[in-house]
Amino acid sequence: MATITQTSNPTTFTPKRSKGQILVDWLTTTDHKKIGYLYLITSFMYFLIGGVMALIIRAQLTLPGLDIVATKEQYNQLFTMHGTIMLLMFATPLFAGFANVLMPVQIGAPDVAFPRLNAIAYWFFNFGSFIAVSGFFTPQGAASFGWFAYAPLSNTTFSPGIGGDLWVFGLALSGFGTILGGVNFITTIITMRAPGMTMWRMPIFTWNTLVTSILVIMCFPPLAAALFALGADRRFGAHIFDPENGGAMLWQHLFWFFGHPEVYIIALPFFGIVSEIFPVFSRKPIFGYKTLVYATIAIAALSMTVWAHHMYVTGQVLLPFFAFTTMLIAVPTGVKIFNWIGTMWRGSITFEAPMMFALGFLVSFVFGGLTGVILASPALDFHISDTYFVVAHFHYVVFGTVVFAMFAGFYFWWPKFTGKMLNDRLGQIHFWILFIGFHTTFLVQHWLGVMGMPRRYATYLPEDGFTELNIISTAGAVLLAISMIPFFWNLWITYRYGVKVELKDPWGYGRSLEWATESPFPRHNFHSIPRIRSESPAFDLNHPELAAPEAKAAYREEGRI
Amino acid sequence: MKTNIVVLLVMAAYFTAADIGYAVWTYIDGGAVEPIGTAAMALLVVLSIFIAFYLYSGMRRTATLPEDRLDGNIEDEPGEIGFFSPWSWWPFAIGAASAVAFAGLAVGWWLFIVAAPFAIVGVVGFVFEYDRFAHAH
Repeated sequence: MATITQTSNPTTFTPKRSKGQILVDWLTTTDHKKIGYLYLITSFMYFLIGGVMALIIRAQLTLPGLDIVATKEQYNQLFTMHGTIMLLMFATPLFAGFANVLMPVQIGAPDVAFPRLNAIAYWFFNFGSFIAVSGFFTPQGAASFGWFAYAPLSNTTFSPGIGGDLWVFGLALSGFGTILGGVNFITTIITMRAPGMTMWRMPIFTWNTLVTSILVIMCFPPLAAALFALGADRRFGAHIFDPENGGAMLWQHLFWFFGHPEVYIIALPFFGIVSEIFPVFSRKPIFGYKTLVYATIAIAALSMTVWAHHMYVTGQVLLPFFAFTTMLIAVPTGVKIFNWIGTMWRGSITFEAPMMFALGFLVSFVFGGLTGVILASPALDFHISDTYFVVAHFHYVVFGTVVFAMFAGFYFWWPKFTGKMLNDRLGQIHFWILFIGFHTTFLVQHWLGVMGMPRRYATYLPEDGFTELNIISTAGAVLLAISMIPFFWNLWITYRYGVKVELKDPWGYGRSLEWATESPFPRHNFHSIPRIRSESPAFDLNHPELAAPEAKAAYREEGRI
Repeated sequence: MKTNIVVLLVMAAYFTAADIGYAVWTYIDGGAVEPIGTAAMALLVVLSIFIAFYLYSGMRRTATLPEDRLDGNIEDEPGEIGFFSPWSWWPFAIGAASAVAFAGLAVGWWLFIVAAPFAIVGVVGFVFEYDRFAHAH
């Protein structure tokens, strides 16, 4: 598969350093790749913490009447922090991690536009997240009002204790980090592209990073405002979210005005990741590049106008407007799925681990999208709102997108991150256990929801008839947890025994610019950048006879083909 | 540059249409314009147009950049691309000081008052890091 071989690269050689030097290096870094790795490592740790909470929740629900969690209040804290961690401390910074490492390389830039601001964004996220979860170390425990903190439940009368205050201000700080990161990405993409890298030649992942960052600067400021108002209510005696002032609806509007676009903030970049993977393992260019970009922009614009579909059962929102806009989103999403299938259609597909995870994403996400259309219809939603059907739906959408695409990205780009390929056989084992575990856990929850099992209840009665399906779901969750073992084993043996690939493009058919530079990346990304004449400059460089027409014309002039 | 402006203007147009539609529809449906969503979407229009206008005014004052040319070559952008800080303590300092200050809002004013001066020093240090001494440029 090798196309460009090279010997050990003297410019990437670094002398051995003491532990203190390494620590200072990571604390003071302004290198976009190191900051990206910090994001990836931190968010993955929160993924594990949130995952352990999920396992405790599942254990509690296995059989009716269990007391695995000592008090119902602790159960409330667990699901609140599980949601908060997975959304705001795992998925959102995971986007920042992948975007930080890859986006500057994909546009041929030496770094992001504001390297120090980038570091600030990371530290805000890291410290803010720690503040939000540090409620667990206080006597009354962490926040317990659900991750969307509905007023008036979230005020001090109904949720006393410092855990809630720490949650509010911790999220505010980490939210500022996300906004700063978004500004940085937008500026980088607008101003730092390499010559010839026009907007319409950017890889889909970079396009999705741009659109996601625009969503970030549109929807995180309302969250910051709402959180500061809630903080003022809780700590300084303000009355902004008092029900008698209409505060209950104000909070729900503000929160979901952030909350729904947030779902797309954690979806679009991961759509971008799989859009990079499908062409490489299908040996075909992405099918319908422009329609994919248009679809991304359409999803972003529409997603800002659908927020109140989370509020159908309040009876105070304009049902037809939100049902209509919500269903409209299915159109650009369908376009994307059509494009991915079109990319694979009659391609010469191989099923390495990144491709398996990308396909796992596609299957899970289509399921989640279908139940999304059901939930978008008010008449159907009234029956299943706040039941396990909703839980199953958003885990299909979010787990299906974020986790599957994350592992796809890890297996795909690991040689670029570390210079070593992850073991493919362990990757396959990892995939199948994860895939089966995930679907066993969440598929049955659809039926639990239809049968009427409400979400966020700490237990249920034997007469409810939920027991069998809950046992299946918990068994699936155990399988899901076990699937992490082959992954960690893989990381360990790759670190310990892996051989440096010494190739710029170990997959052989890499398309965007990151495959035209050394693995691992040199400090400022490139020693030389190939000429950019299409959206896949690395592929044009390595396969001139199959290059895009504009690149081919240039090569013909030079006599290379 | 032009693509970015068009993307933002398309978004602004959609938000305008959605906002007007939403305001009118809620008025017909409930007898009053729903204020929160209407205001929020109106601000989206402002934000999109604001950035689009900034990019437009930048584009008007510069020639077509090499990265926007279909036939741009890497060597078209000679010389320094920019200054990239090799490393810096200030982001960590600002992060840590702001974290204590934010935790102070939850814990008590005393902690906020302790942390605020450090945060101010952090911001000043960050801003003037490359203005003075050996690293000035």
